Amino acid sequence: MRSNRNKSGAGRSAVTLFLLPWAVVYGAFFVFPFLFSFALGFLSYNPLNVAGTHWVGAANIARLFHDPDFAQALRNTILFVVGTVPVTTVLALGVALLLRGRIPGKDFFKAGLFLPSILSVVVISLLFKLFYAPGGALNRALGVVGLGGHGWLTDPGTALPAVMAMDVWAAVGYYAVIFYAAFAAIPDELYEAAELEGAGFFATLRHVTLPMLRPTIGFVLVINTIRSFQVFVEVLVMTQGGPLGSTNTLVLHLYETAFRRLDYGYASVIAYTVFVLSGIFSIVVIRRLRPGYATGGGGA
Amino acid sequence: MNRRSRQAIVAVAAVLSVAMALSSPGCGRKDERKTIRFWQFWDIAVIRPMVEQFEAEHKDIRVEVEQLTWKSGLEKIQAALASGTQPDLCELGSTWVPRFSYEGVLEDLTALYEVEADSFLMWDSAIWKGRVYGLPWVQGSRALFYNRDLFRRAGLDPDRPPTTWAELLDAASRIDALSPDIYGFGQNLGERYVLYKKFMAFAWGNGGVILDGEGKVRIAEAPTREALEFYLELSKFSLKEKQEVLDHHFKTGKLGMQISGAWNLGNYAIEAPGLDYGVALVPKPAADRGVHASFAGAEMLVVFKGSPVRDDSVELARFLRQYQRAKALSLAAGSVFPASRLALEDTTFTRDPKLRVFMEQALTSYTAPAHPGWIEMEEVINRTVEEVLYGRRAPRWCLESAAEEIEKIASKFEKQPE
Repeated sequence: MRSNRNKSGAGRSAVTLFLLPWAVVYGAFFVFPFLFSFALGFLSYNPLNVAGTHWVGAANIARLFHDPDFAQALRNTILFVVGTVPVTTVLALGVALLLRGRIPGKDFFKAGLFLPSILSVVVISLLFKLFYAPGGALNRALGVVGLGGHGWLTDPGTALPAVMAMDVWAAVGYYAVIFYAAFAAIPDELYEAAELEGAGFFATLRHVTLPMLRPTIGFVLVINTIRSFQVFVEVLVMTQGGPLGSTNTLVLHLYETAFRRLDYGYASVIAYTVFVLSGIFSIVVIRRLRPGYATGGGGA
Repeated sequence: MNRRSRQAIVAVAAVLSVAMALSSPGCGRKDERKTIRFWQFWDIAVIRPMVEQFEAEHKDIRVEVEQLTWKSGLEKIQAALASGTQPDLCELGSTWVPRFSYEGVLEDLTALYEVEADSFLMWDSAIWKGRVYGLPWVQGSRALFYNRDLFRRAGLDPDRPPTTWAELLDAASRIDALSPDIYGFGQNLGERYVLYKKFMAFAWGNGGVILDGEGKVRIAEAPTREALEFYLELSKFSLKEKQEVLDHHFKTGKLGMQISGAWNLGNYAIEAPGLDYGVALVPKPAADRGVHASFAGAEMLVVFKGSPVRDDSVELARFLRQYQRAKALSLAAGSVFPASRLALEDTTFTRDPKLRVFMEQALTSYTAPAHPGWIEMEEVINRTVEEVLYGRRAPRWCLESAAEEIEKIASKFEKQPE
């Protein structure tokens, strides 16, 4: 017994030792900034005058309710999330279903669909900036039917939908590959049973495929929701939040508040707002899908 | 692995460690020179020879140069200041300097200003509450670019670019009428940081001011309102787009005129070698009224407060600002000119008719107001111009709202930080 205890004690020490580098890095670059940012939310903090840092209590939180730019950024961000996440998920699922079928050059299509995921968002944004320009490919294509010449990114009514469309295009392939991989985990027996019962394509999709994919759908929704709440690079490169603030998002507003206005305290409150909103959306999605997960996993 | 092998490995490792230690730089003798840490934004290949020359002339000083990027440089400087690891000497854009001056993180360089004031342009943004905190290094103003071919096609004289608002409007309308895909003038829209630079050229030219010398907000007054009304009129014949799109249209001969910077001279030579274009001063309100005003940005050299090598850093700044070095930097960059007044007489810049315009334009160019709240004020002005161009509100109401917002911003900075 003594020997075993010594061994397990030595094992724990070794595990601790191996985990230490990760723990130090995680603590320094995640936990500390996370807590520091929380504290900043109650301070007036300006990096050019750290000595002048002082406690402001809940003043930074109260500012959220009187800041029209924040209200606009919040509205735009929620529109972005609501407009892109369901569309991306449905399209990704559809593409994955298509890939499941017998189509020639399947690997080529899989690679092509995944390509936007390995491209830099900056590169994609720059390409779409040209794509949407008055003399760009979209307007030239629309010009064939007499609809060209629109400034998609300079019209306040179309700028946000244009950025959203780009985001959907860039994200569909990644999530389609995730769904495609999830299909492999669905036992063939279920499809065989459905076929024996005379179920058609839609009945099989509804009663076999979708219930079995619920955990994956939940994962995709949560990941995409969190990512969409943090939309930043796309709008910074394509529109800088304009025109008239129609593409200003929470993280862009946070960035401008912190790094241009040097108002780090208020920026931290905005950051935590993004965190809380992402959390609420994620919890709602997870709760909605949890019973299905149990059903799907347990084989009702 | 037997014992002999292990001993051999340990021996080899020990020998390698000693060899590496002995070959490391500085081993054997300690570098006792003073160190100046210098952060700047230009190509290090251009700056390094200048720094090496400085080191050769100052045997007791070594300079650590670091190149920042425009994308993340400001964040890096802020982080360094927050952690007390800021450089000694640093390049800052002219719109950033007022906030740094206000926060009290820059060394007071007023004594040097008193000696050099008449030798350099673009001091305004370095002055806060009567003291000077930055040294102008290089500058760049904006001028009117016009397509000579489109001028001919529209029946205009390509050797007589518009000099007044009326002539500009006439030229824009005639070029705009040539074809549905040809536009008279280019106006920036749908992007931050640029709008005010183009619009304020007209306001400044008409005697408009954002803040006067006493800090009073005057943006809603008649000169700026008239300029905004004119800008709105001009928009009828304009392509209202982002800068890249305006540049693309100008290069492809689809845009008659736009206000832009000297970097285009090099770009057009490479990207549109067949383009027949001219450069002119930004038109003024009328032949007998106003000035050919434009926006100018400057790069300033500042010394951070508390630098242990303050005087040596100032010396390095003076060395880099000497005319021949600022000229070498300007020629290498191709987008700026020395802030020294000597550039105004230098045939390198005055021989070429296009470059000469930028020299002339610099004399009547304005920098952004030297106010620590400028970044926020700039956003208000950009939004005001956008609201007017999108037809959301009339210029008068937009400017009155802007004045109220700017006053609120200004009031936040009335008290000097502790």
